[in-house]
Amino acid sequence: MTATATRVQAAPTPSRPARPRRSLFWTASLVLTAVLVGWAAVGLDAKWERLISAPADMWRLAQLMFGNMTWSDVGRLLDAMWDSIAIAWLGTMLAAAVAVPLAFLAARNLGGTLVSLVIRQFFNMLRALPEVILVIAFIPIFGLSLNAGVLAIAIGSIGTLGKLCAEILEGLDDGPLEAADAAGANRLQRLRWGVLPQALPELMSFVLYRFEINIRVSAVLGAVGAGGIGGTLVNALSFNEFGVAGLALIIVVLGTIAVDMISGWVRRRIIAGPRSERRHGDVAPDALAADALTATL
Amino acid sequence: MSDAVAPPAAVAPGPVATRPKRPRPSLFAVVGITVAVVLTIATTWDWEYGTGFSLSEVFTNLTNNNRVIAAIPNTDLGQMLSGRSRGAFIETLQMAVLGTFGGAIVALPLALWTTTVGAPNRPVMWALRMVSNVMRSFPDVLWASLFVTAVGIGALSGLLALFCFSIAVIVKLTADTVDGIDMGPVEAARAAGAGHSQVLRTAVVPQILPAYASFVLYSFELNLRGSAVLGLVGAGGIGGRLDFFRNQGRWEEVWGIVVMFFIVVFIVDQISSAMRRRLV
Repeated sequence: MTATATRVQAAPTPSRPARPRRSLFWTASLVLTAVLVGWAAVGLDAKWERLISAPADMWRLAQLMFGNMTWSDVGRLLDAMWDSIAIAWLGTMLAAAVAVPLAFLAARNLGGTLVSLVIRQFFNMLRALPEVILVIAFIPIFGLSLNAGVLAIAIGSIGTLGKLCAEILEGLDDGPLEAADAAGANRLQRLRWGVLPQALPELMSFVLYRFEINIRVSAVLGAVGAGGIGGTLVNALSFNEFGVAGLALIIVVLGTIAVDMISGWVRRRIIAGPRSERRHGDVAPDALAADALTATL
Repeated sequence: MSDAVAPPAAVAPGPVATRPKRPRPSLFAVVGITVAVVLTIATTWDWEYGTGFSLSEVFTNLTNNNRVIAAIPNTDLGQMLSGRSRGAFIETLQMAVLGTFGGAIVALPLALWTTTVGAPNRPVMWALRMVSNVMRSFPDVLWASLFVTAVGIGALSGLLALFCFSIAVIVKLTADTVDGIDMGPVEAARAAGAGHSQVLRTAVVPQILPAYASFVLYSFELNLRGSAVLGLVGAGGIGGRLDFFRNQGRWEEVWGIVVMFFIVVFIVDQISSAMRRRLV
């Protein structure tokens, strides 16, 4: 007893632990960032003097836009917004029709090693092509129909969607696959009973997520001349029809948020199932999606 | 010995396993799939509310003679050596670097303030969440055309557009990460008497820093890709060159710039995703 007491007294007062050293990677990244930012700030030929007045300029533009709105334009603008949504939806569906089957081949555990390597590189190539460049090339080919936009979105989404879906398939639990093999399933039955039940919710959820992204993309494509609300908005701005532009802006924002909310609700319902409650400490479904995105995009 | 014989005898009288009943599809699945099918048909159909999209039309258009596709074999790779195109590219890169950097600095506190853990009080949280939702529904090119109209044509407008776009992307992704952090360190910091900003500094930020850095890189990749468009509405960078050649119908040069763009994006993506893998 006395021995323990003396031991406690003899213990040194706890000192603050030493701060862990920063890793070389962090230091190198910080230095690299500083160098890059310095190079860009010195080199960029921008009218920096206008930066100070920029907030005031934006405020004046907002006053012009939201002060001159006429409600008679609403119908026309809603039609244009619907065009953007239709382009995004159809493009996403076309992309999914190509990307999801290819993803099965691109997943290392389902397709062969060589096949998956080839398809992965194909996805990577498509991923590097921005939709805008596609649409610039498509407009003269397809004329002023909405086809150019649909096709650009479809081709632009195949790469990312395919890559994400392949990563999901690679993360599957092997158990059901082994069970299907053990029960003597052929390749098709193996996919149907071993893979699809596990993967389908996540695959559908990523297709919907891509649709949300594509709504924004289709608004961008409009600005380049592919129809939809983006074109209306950019044209209105360049012809100084500020009222139309303001109303179009409101419709873009509300339309996009509405689609996001519906699609987000459906995604959560697909992933989490009915009557699921978020408990304290659970990771939010959106956070899961964000993690998956950063790990793979 | 007798013990070893017993089990097979027990198995034999068991009933033949019947196949379990197939679960009925949920109402949600039925409605969801119906809506998806109807929406697809409605948007494909050639009517007032459809796109009139047809693959056969796409095919005929593609196989018809046209100058855009005819120019592909004659792609002008000399664009990579042209000083003006290279200058425009460097401008694009500089815009993307500055826009992302500025956006990242502003986005970190904003992201913390939009979460229940980090917000100083509820009204601020709700207001910032609304601002973040509205900002997120703007694509980069809309920012660019707004800034071009208000601030004027040039790289500054492109820079500001990428700045706003980065804020929107990084705030959303970072806030989602903050929602998912381990609350242990936060409680520990509070128990040790840390104030609000000390909790954020010592318990929240260290947990999200790698994810945040990777979101910044991701946003940089997006910005680089997006910057191709900005020039088309007058916000500087390589898009301006692209628009110039496109309006003149010089598709050989357009494809040359596309190839160049492709290479730059590919290299930057490789570096950036290698760094992100290292982070996460």
